[in-house]
Amino acid sequence: MALKPVTSPDVEAPPIRLTVDGQQVEAKQGVSLYDVISQTGKTIPAMCYHYTFDPFGSCGMCLVMVEGKKAPVRSCTAKAEAGMVVRCEGEDLFLARKKAVEKHLTVHPLDCPVCDADGHCELQDMAFQHGVTNLVNAKPKGLPEDRRSLVLDFNMNRCILCGECINICKDVQMVDALQFFKKEGTTHVVAKGDEGLVCEFCGDCLAVCPVGAITNKYSKYVYKPWQLKKTTSTCAYCADGCQMYIETSGKGVQRVTSPLSWKNKWGDRAETAKGHGGLCVRGRFGFQYIDSKERLGAPLVRTEEGFAPRSWFEVMDTVIGRLKALKAQHGPNAIAGLITARCTNEELYLFQKLMRTAIGTNQVDSSARYGHLNFTRALQHAAGVGRVMNGYEEITKANVLLLIGTDITETNPVASLRVKEAIRVYGAQAIVATSRMTNIAKLASHPLRIAAGSERSFIQALVKAAVEEDLVDEAATTAAPEAFAALKAAVGGLSWDVLTARTGTSRAVAVESVRLYAEAPKAVILCAEGVTRQVEGYASVLNLVDLAWVTGKLTRPGCGVSALPEEANEQGAVDMGVAPELLPGQALYGDEEARGKFATAWRCSLPPPDPSATLMEILKRCRDGGIKALYLVGENPLATLPASTGVREALEKVELLVCQDPFLTETGRLAHVVLPATTFAEKDGTFTNLEGKVNRVRPALEPYEEARPDWEIFAALGTGLGYPMEYEAAQDVQREIMKLLPGYYNLGEARPVIATPEGYLRNGFAHTVAVRYAAGSEADGARPFALTIGQVLYHSGKLSTRASGLVQLYPSKGRLQMNPEDLAQLQIGPQDVVRVTSAGASVELRTEANPDLARGTCFFPEHFNEPPIKDLAECVVDPTTGVPAFKFTRVAIEKH
Amino acid sequence: MTAKSEGKSLLREVWDALSFSEIRTAMRVVLSHMFVKPVTFQYPREKRTIPDAHRGALGLLRYDDGAERCVGCDLCEAACPSRCIKVVSAENPERPLSRYATEFYIDITKCVFCGYCVEACPVNALAMTKMYEYATADKRQLIFDKKRLYEVGEKHIEDAKRYLYAHNQEKNDAESFQYRYKFPHQVAGLTPPQDS
Ligand code: SF4
Ligand code: SF4
Ligand code: SF4
Ligand code: SF4
Ligand code: SF4
Ligand code: FES
Repeated sequence: MALKPVTSPDVEAPPIRLTVDGQQVEAKQGVSLYDVISQTGKTIPAMCYHYTFDPFGSCGMCLVMVEGKKAPVRSCTAKAEAGMVVRCEGEDLFLARKKAVEKHLTVHPLDCPVCDADGHCELQDMAFQHGVTNLVNAKPKGLPEDRRSLVLDFNMNRCILCGECINICKDVQMVDALQFFKKEGTTHVVAKGDEGLVCEFCGDCLAVCPVGAITNKYSKYVYKPWQLKKTTSTCAYCADGCQMYIETSGKGVQRVTSPLSWKNKWGDRAETAKGHGGLCVRGRFGFQYIDSKERLGAPLVRTEEGFAPRSWFEVMDTVIGRLKALKAQHGPNAIAGLITARCTNEELYLFQKLMRTAIGTNQVDSSARYGHLNFTRALQHAAGVGRVMNGYEEITKANVLLLIGTDITETNPVASLRVKEAIRVYGAQAIVATSRMTNIAKLASHPLRIAAGSERSFIQALVKAAVEEDLVDEAATTAAPEAFAALKAAVGGLSWDVLTARTGTSRAVAVESVRLYAEAPKAVILCAEGVTRQVEGYASVLNLVDLAWVTGKLTRPGCGVSALPEEANEQGAVDMGVAPELLPGQALYGDEEARGKFATAWRCSLPPPDPSATLMEILKRCRDGGIKALYLVGENPLATLPASTGVREALEKVELLVCQDPFLTETGRLAHVVLPATTFAEKDGTFTNLEGKVNRVRPALEPYEEARPDWEIFAALGTGLGYPMEYEAAQDVQREIMKLLPGYYNLGEARPVIATPEGYLRNGFAHTVAVRYAAGSEADGARPFALTIGQVLYHSGKLSTRASGLVQLYPSKGRLQMNPEDLAQLQIGPQDVVRVTSAGASVELRTEANPDLARGTCFFPEHFNEPPIKDLAECVVDPTTGVPAFKFTRVAIEKH
Repeated sequence: MTAKSEGKSLLREVWDALSFSEIRTAMRVVLSHMFVKPVTFQYPREKRTIPDAHRGALGLLRYDDGAERCVGCDLCEAACPSRCIKVVSAENPERPLSRYATEFYIDITKCVFCGYCVEACPVNALAMTKMYEYATADKRQLIFDKKRLYEVGEKHIEDAKRYLYAHNQEKNDAESFQYRYKFPHQVAGLTPPQDS
């Protein structure tokens, strides 16, 4: 095995002793000698070594003397053996290393002044350290730069053939997009097939390249490292919570870099179970929106002639006056508010506080309502845990991973690396049930192509198979015999004919999958939009909990049910109580005592739980005229929801629509007042990632023109409305949260989770279970195609479409993706226009072949709406959680 | 003069006072200097010859074919002890792969004329000139931008070259072209200088 046992705790190897520079060291037999040496705290030069992958041994820098050997040996590829006597320093070694540097430099162009690596280059450092000042016969390669790829340029003149880029792409990303390639006597690093790169564009290769051979097109030649200010912050795109360095100059953001870099090569591979420090394409290359020229620079007020800029003083005066008047006339419930989960915890907290105190309404909701609340509510209800049960480390070390309804490589790319590491390093089996053959499905041991939209039936099939095949856990089921009996009866009512027809898989497949899952000591279920954003998402999550419970995986350490939220701080939105049913800390709003506690803390009485309203209910009340003023913070329902929900009518009906956003969105255009907000890069605060870890967000830039951070606007509004909110900084809000939710900010570590399903299984389970295993309605034969509107790797919501870098990588193509065989059958060519008809609408557009899609399914990226494809979907609201499901529909496709 | 000087007899003092002896002495000095060649220059009517190594205002230089030498590498900014240089660089849209400075500022009010920037420059794009007359009532004029710096360079190109020779940074155009960087190597278009 190519593993380095020292850093893979699961690999068995006998312990040995050896001597390093006179010091006795313990190690495992056969591990890299370099690792043993660096464990002693010594750093010897190494240009091709990185702890995240196996030693490659090409640079010749890590030389050491081993007793009994005449010549120095490369310690990275040498294996530690018992009794070795190793010397790491000395004149001879220094000269040997110097020779290695000189060897690299004789074919080097030495164009440091124009090289993007200048000042952050290992070869430069080594030349300096070893005093290489005079090179005779230097003969640069004189190759043209390879600019065929998107984003990345390859300048092979500077390449030292260390292989780090190839290795990280193969071992860590498991994309394997790069290779060495010999052309006219010179070895190059090229994309597979010697063409432009086709890959995930994570940029990890760029991060680990120790020289300037791989460069970033988006920041080519525009910086020198010493000109940039480096701010550590947290990525605002998805909930993986990656740490990033935002590097800014006077001209704005110049590049984004990651903790993963050739400079941090001396890590412990065991630590990568928690993360390798890299970023995905969105985090690394999608920064352009931050200082985009499209940003809102001043508050706008709608006048007869369109939007006119106004001063903050004037606008706030207007907004406060209007709100006060509406409240006086119609009561506080004439006002409602929605906020995006891309805001910080502090802002989310303050927003719900503003709505509930200064305004006095419980009509407040966040974008976590689009799906994540289905998950947290179900888990809170069933297991007493309002968030994912497994952190990164548990995912990495699971024996079996069951991925249902998640395109993890697309939606949560860095979390997907944990699944990849589980597969690669820890030998996990992965069962991936999806209708798209996503990258993770291609790597999985058990890729199951199930019919689109059949996740719910597939989960039911798994539970049924577990019960029928007696794969249940004795202890877990005997502890709640009534519940188990009810479950048995419920799944007994499902027919395999229906389930197999719906999912397109056989009973045998379900049995095999569930057996694998049930028999693994550590098994984790990962679900996402394919479950939580679908019809009956809440019930489906509960069914997953059933599956974990009957197989004894609910309370066992290292096991659990987890979901991958899409936006950066959806978990935070739930935790901060930005939902009518929740208070901060996920206390129930209906709970008199909890409400009392917050009422005391906030020195004000809180509105009664009735009338409350969730997102869809708020829009309905706007339409009915009950709600007269709507305050939208970063939310853009017009571009998100299908037209059939009547969202436009709702927004046009209200008397006061206030939009607070960094950009003028579709919804913003309908607003009466638009307030310019800042992006995460200008904010101070925290995000809670999917693990439940609270990460710092730090301001890298001053706010753009007149824009202000959201919390400041809330505080000003609250104070203006007569409820003093005297916060000077985001930290003041943080202190208040700390007081109310002690322990929430244990920055750095995810909190452990203990599931407590006992109460749930005893009370009420038996009554509700039957409904959850109802078969549901049949698919409509007249509309044979399943249309999924989903996320692609290069984008996140609508925000990323403002980042020119990501749009270059993945522009709006306006094409419907279909299986090539379906296209052939319908005789649709790339230039043909098809008409796509759903129950309520139809659009015309061109198509594009995508062999990863199952037959009978089609896909359109949710980030774009040209043509208005989202309007095809109807919207079904979950009866329990009020989550709208509108990303999936059945359509008929005909050639035009 | 009122204080009584020591060691002088009263008589002598009276005599000195009556004969204006002190004025005579002073006049002697004045008169003798009237016939000596003056050491000061009658600036601005008259100007001094300045040595080639003189550190005057900075200018940016072009190659003989008119191309900007500066590659926007920012090493001058890094070397400047008084932090008065600011360089903004980008890829040259007209010549892909070549780097150049889109903006260049030297705050000459802060410059201490150490010449480190000139030494740091890998392409000898910066040089000091013999220009020292740039007094102005508008301080903003003293932040030299790229345009002004190239104007200075153009006007004083000969002095600038002499400065570089004097400081051992350049020998002659033909020879220096051997070691002067052309960045990056694959960018064509820099013609070697004609024999000068
Ligand atoms: S890779 Fe390093 S040594 Fe090579 S030109 Fe760039 S900065 Fe200089
Ligand atoms: S960007 Fe990422 S996926 Fe693409 S080649 Fe580099 S390491 Fe591989
Ligand atoms: S491109 Fe960079 S990382 Fe890849 S082999 Fe060359 S020097 Fe190493
Ligand atoms: S989008 Fe998600 S995975 Fe990508 S860098 Fe940001 S937080 Fe990490
Ligand atoms: S050191 Fe020379 S080439 Fe570099 S930015 Fe300064 S003037 Fe331009
Ligand atoms: S680090 Fe060992 S050969 Fe490069």
